[in-house]
Amino acid sequence: MTTISFMVLLPLLLHIAITMVMKNILVRSLDQVPYEIWVFPGIVLLIASVSTFSMIYRDMFDLRIHRKSFIPITLAPYGKTQLILGFLVTSIIEALVYVVVAMSVLTVLLPEPLHWSAYFIIPLFTFLYTFMLGNLVITFSVLTDRISTYLSIMISVFLFILFGTGVLVEFEFYPKTIGVLLSSFPLSMILSDLRGILFFNRVDWNQIFIPIVVAIGWTWFNGYLLKRKLKQ
Amino acid sequence: MEASITLKKVGKLVGDKTILASLTFGVERGSLVAVIGDNEAGKSMLLKVISGIEYQEFGHVFINGLDSQKRRLEVMSSIGFVPHEIDLDPWLTLEQNVRFMGMMYGVDTETANTRMVQLARELHIIPYLKRMVQDISPGIVKKGMILRALVHDPDILIMDDPTAFMDAESYRHTWDLLLRLRGDKTILYVSQSLTEVEAAHDRILVLEDGRIALDGSLDKLLGSTFEFHQFQIEFEELPDKLFEQLSKLPKVKNPSRIGNSIHFYGRERNVFFEVLNAATSAIMKDISVKKLGLQDLMDAKFAKDGIH
Repeated sequence: MTTISFMVLLPLLLHIAITMVMKNILVRSLDQVPYEIWVFPGIVLLIASVSTFSMIYRDMFDLRIHRKSFIPITLAPYGKTQLILGFLVTSIIEALVYVVVAMSVLTVLLPEPLHWSAYFIIPLFTFLYTFMLGNLVITFSVLTDRISTYLSIMISVFLFILFGTGVLVEFEFYPKTIGVLLSSFPLSMILSDLRGILFFNRVDWNQIFIPIVVAIGWTWFNGYLLKRKLKQ
Repeated sequence: MEASITLKKVGKLVGDKTILASLTFGVERGSLVAVIGDNEAGKSMLLKVISGIEYQEFGHVFINGLDSQKRRLEVMSSIGFVPHEIDLDPWLTLEQNVRFMGMMYGVDTETANTRMVQLARELHIIPYLKRMVQDISPGIVKKGMILRALVHDPDILIMDDPTAFMDAESYRHTWDLLLRLRGDKTILYVSQSLTEVEAAHDRILVLEDGRIALDGSLDKLLGSTFEFHQFQIEFEELPDKLFEQLSKLPKVKNPSRIGNSIHFYGRERNVFFEVLNAATSAIMKDISVKKLGLQDLMDAKFAKDGIH
């Protein structure tokens, strides 16, 4: 019950704290999309981020550092990369549930509904986004042994996502070099391409292909890191 | 008999400290082997290396003839491991913990359920299966951990202090199960309770500083004490002169004094009568003779120095 309440309240909270404020400042994006509509996919992916942080903390970091069932899991007859994939799949599924609930709540608050296809495209990009972000969180979950360090890193990552991946404002508002640099992060590419498809029917396959390749490589690397960490 | 576990020159370092030093031994299939030793002797690390939790820096571990490093995925299905500390997920029920691990090992739901219920019945933990682990006492959880380790029906069961936290009844239920499994499964366990080890073993390994100090059945190990007995005589008053006089008797070994009592070891019982003869001038309050057991063997005097 607590989880369901949180799933409903989180998008409401973000709508009140971000969208309702920012729409008075920015009104429309540079491509003349109303801000409330433009920020919608960003807010949804932000919620996917919150879900990913907590799921990987629960399934991996917490179990490992508190010596719960993590070691028995690593003794099961699977390679470490397969285990990492398992953690990722779990977090992706849970993030998708969060996203579906968030889209349902936020749609009610939108001034005009999105095209129906958006409700299929956003979950697809959530899949890719969580695949990527999950790997980042897993890397820190493996490398960190203290909760305080882990929390500091996760809060920093969250702030970076909030302000450095184009969730709230377009990269054109940043100094040019910084904007170019930030837009070349795979997480930014995913969000940027999602908006391109939703609002302009424009697909940049490079911005899909690069995150997929990076995420696959990162999954393998996390498997290697886990193997080294556990000395198995 | 065929070896189930074989270690060849296995060495393990933690930092620059040697935890296991070139261990070479085999464990026969279906046997019940107890590992004992002082703290920091390397017992738990030995179990971790055999069960694949940590790799050794040197040497090879073979499980059912397969190199545990090179054929890890095949080897892992053959092993069930019960660590010393409680490591079930506290936010799941006991049943969920067991079923999850069954799933991880590819056991189908029906088989996992059948095994779980049968083993839980033997361990007398059926009423606890649906309860959250965080709400169950540690002794019951430990039995749940044994259940979890057995859900995929491994050939080898490795346990670090299997009866830790358990009351007498749980202890008995657990050993009833383990002794039933003996012969069918190879069981290797570490215990701090020497009484437990004396009661349940085919073989005992005594580890000392990462090396095997003694290896064999209890009778064989006690044979190394050369039929020594422990004697104790309590006097109403034990003057220093008398203590020195008794200590110098040729057959009295390792004499020590606590208050008005003299403790010593002797190979034959007749040493006792020689001491009694020599001490007739003093008034005695109590006497005792005890054949040596595992506890005495583990005593530093025996395990490290022997009786001089």
